[in-house]
Amino acid sequence: MDGIRVGKRIIGADSPVIVGWENIGRVEGGPVKQFIFTWFQPTVLFAAILFWYYAPNSIAKASTAIGIGIGFKLLLLSLEWVNPRYDSWRLTWKELVTDLFYVGLGYTVLRIVDSYIGSSVMVEAIQHLFHWDKFAWFTSLPLLVQAFLISFIFDFGQYWMHRGMHNWYPLWLPHSVHHYITQMNINKGAVGNPVELFLIGLGIGGFFDFVPRAFLLAGAIGMSVGSYMHINVRFNTPRWWRFLFNTTEHHSVHHSRDYEASRSNFAGTYIFIDRIFGTCVDGEAELLGMEGGRRMSIREQMTYPFTEAWKTLKEKFARPGAMVMPAE
Amino acid sequence: MRLIDWIWHIRGSVALAPGQSSDDAFGKLEPLFRQPNTSFERSNDMLVFQKKDQAAQDKMSIFDDGTLRIERGTSGAVLRYHLTSRALLACFLAPLLFLGIAQFTVMLGQHQAKTEHASDKSADAKKDKDKKIVPLNPIDKFLGAPAPEKPDKKDADKGGKRDKKPSPTPAYVFAAIFAALYVGGRILEDRLIKSHFAKRLRGSRSTMTREPALPPVGGRAA
Repeated sequence: MDGIRVGKRIIGADSPVIVGWENIGRVEGGPVKQFIFTWFQPTVLFAAILFWYYAPNSIAKASTAIGIGIGFKLLLLSLEWVNPRYDSWRLTWKELVTDLFYVGLGYTVLRIVDSYIGSSVMVEAIQHLFHWDKFAWFTSLPLLVQAFLISFIFDFGQYWMHRGMHNWYPLWLPHSVHHYITQMNINKGAVGNPVELFLIGLGIGGFFDFVPRAFLLAGAIGMSVGSYMHINVRFNTPRWWRFLFNTTEHHSVHHSRDYEASRSNFAGTYIFIDRIFGTCVDGEAELLGMEGGRRMSIREQMTYPFTEAWKTLKEKFARPGAMVMPAE
Repeated sequence: MRLIDWIWHIRGSVALAPGQSSDDAFGKLEPLFRQPNTSFERSNDMLVFQKKDQAAQDKMSIFDDGTLRIERGTSGAVLRYHLTSRALLACFLAPLLFLGIAQFTVMLGQHQAKTEHASDKSADAKKDKDKKIVPLNPIDKFLGAPAPEKPDKKDADKGGKRDKKPSPTPAYVFAAIFAALYVGGRILEDRLIKSHFAKRLRGSRSTMTREPALPPVGGRAA
């Protein structure tokens, strides 16, 4: 395979990757379907912002956000059924059960672990240690600016953590497991080794003070943009959207079996961070995964980073005398 | 064992067309086993297969091994199959795992409540006193966003404690989800595999070979 030159890199030399928006498939069907799958994403984003901006205090609560989040996921699942991007990514019973197992871990075990050693706890400890106060003046900024800052600060941190995972072996080990997914579905973002899921959730946003409604608005932006990263739905995503935000197209390139392509599109919400740092590749891939698309079992996903680390350490510290010498 | 092994074993049968030979029947079924990470052995009236790291879109992805046998009786030939699935077993056990997590969360909450009760309350009281109402930015005021509420002390106390204490509810919800998924999956996958076998046995061999089967990896036909 020849691949296509993008900047200094050759994309698609190991596995097929579509590079450039003009080559990506469009929504097929009548004008109603075209209209829905062109305007769905922006409509949801603006509706969510308006709702959380104007909702009375009695409604603007975290419990409402959780309810909306679950309802939205169910809606997206139905969209995967109606208008899949690729038939080879169709959700099966086994894939659904596997994905939900990880979602379940995220809502239970990881949440407990996070409440003890998560970023908010660490930030609080650091502030206490150095007698720092939060940056309280942030709360006087307009709500939407606060909301953008919350999601941007988190995403900026996630970009570098994610990029670090692809460039530093100890961080790559827990993250590599997530790259064994062979298709995109709405809950695939939750699939991964718990160590990685904990690391990717770390953020420095806790250093700053924001009003509660700004957090709800930031959550709404995250939901209305980030949910599409791992989705199997064909959208005619507007030009301005894909310039600013991460899309399933971008993320499929990141998950492609092509090594160079997988080292692109690191941001979670704002793809313009990748554009700033030169790691963005606009395009799409259907063949995903590692080792030629080998599907990793849950058991292996849980142990893989540790067994691989053990193998590497054993190789590194093997005594030279222990090496097998050829017989004379 | 037979009393409980229906949890992860699927057994069934499909009638063969009158006069259909074993060779023809297995020939039509073979593409299902010519999949990545699948190995199988075929003798006259029997096919035994094993799968590992099944591809997501493998029609038999939930099965790990099994036997297909053709039996000939007075009423005609029948394909009998006996398949095992670790995925079904894991899904059956998943509610127990999440109930365990819920129990652990409850214990953790009780332990946390004890330690909180013993700790100094004055710091919390001071924190609450320090809480100020944040005024809205003039732009938000102009646009009509609701102003933040004055934190009611009682509610704030209750809310704060409630937020800190881990809740077992998500674990109970996921236990119920997996119980429902198991029931759905046990019925669905049973029906799906039966219909796959029946469809393939009815279809012509040439149609089967034209299907885009993935290249076999470690596949072996005896």
